Amino acid sequence: MRWRRLTHVLHRDIGYIAAGLTIIYAFSGIAINHIQDWNPIYKIEKSTVVLDSIPSNLTKDEVVHYVLNSVGETRVVKNTYRASPNELEIFVDGNTILVDYNTREVHQEKFYTRFLLKKFMDLHLNKPKGIWTYLADLFAISLLFLAISGLFMIKGKNGIKGRGAWLTLAGILIPVIFWLFYYL
Amino acid sequence: MKNPILLLLITVFVSSVSFAQTAEKYGNKLTLKEKTPISTLFKNPEKYIGKIVQVEGIIVNVCEKRGCWIEISSDKEFEKIRFKVEDGVIVFPMDVKGKNIIAEGVFAELVLTKEELIEQGKHHAKEHGTLFNPNSITKGKSEYTLRGLGANVN
Repeated sequence: MRWRRLTHVLHRDIGYIAAGLTIIYAFSGIAINHIQDWNPIYKIEKSTVVLDSIPSNLTKDEVVHYVLNSVGETRVVKNTYRASPNELEIFVDGNTILVDYNTREVHQEKFYTRFLLKKFMDLHLNKPKGIWTYLADLFAISLLFLAISGLFMIKGKNGIKGRGAWLTLAGILIPVIFWLFYYL
Repeated sequence: MKNPILLLLITVFVSSVSFAQTAEKYGNKLTLKEKTPISTLFKNPEKYIGKIVQVEGIIVNVCEKRGCWIEISSDKEFEKIRFKVEDGVIVFPMDVKGKNIIAEGVFAELVLTKEELIEQGKHHAKEHGTLFNPNSITKGKSEYTLRGLGANVN
């Protein structure tokens, strides 16, 4: 039949076009699923050093200079903030330095961007907005077409009238069972 | 410059780069003409609850995983306010930390029970790898936040 041939061709070609985006969405989907346990966007390194002393007669700017020198931080200071009477936070590009005057501890929190995963996540979460919204919609419609046309690709006992029907039913029941389990 | 098209392209490129350096915009365009000091919000919260306000400060903390909240320093020492945005609608990257911000949002009171505070403390400790003693929480409390609508960061 002609419609079956046409579906086959469309399924094949749309499948090829959607492959790249499917891989991106799959990787970012797994990353989002486990976001509570692992940060997919940034690698954060924390470290603490204890200074021998913090001279008490220094102005805030001098303390900043002294601390940055002590920890070997050479990047430009963006801003500073006093979180409490005995704490000073120093912000530089990619690093936050917390100075505790009482304990003389200097805590550093450096972050590095996981470039590729961040780009994947940005697309998955539709950060670019604008035209990307419509491309993502088109991708979703393509997946819908692939899913529905895929049901009718195979004829015979392994097709939708045989084994395929049971497997499709199982695929629908899995989320329904979880929904019943969690929400009823 | 002999080629006018090339000149135009360079002009557009340079102006777009310089615009990008002036302010990063997040969410809705800012609408209010007047800023409210954060210390004023804390001093007289009842007057502002449910109202849209514009505040200014330094971004002193960012949600590391989802970019769904930031903390803005107050004009008064040791004070800050949380600016919570809807997940995915606005996403703040980590590199906004330490930058200046002008932000608009709805000032809201968040009433937290003792149990909720303990849960929050545990979550924070897990995320930041710090210690948390649940016994340090003896009762619930109110927190004031801004439900974020839009912001300009530079």
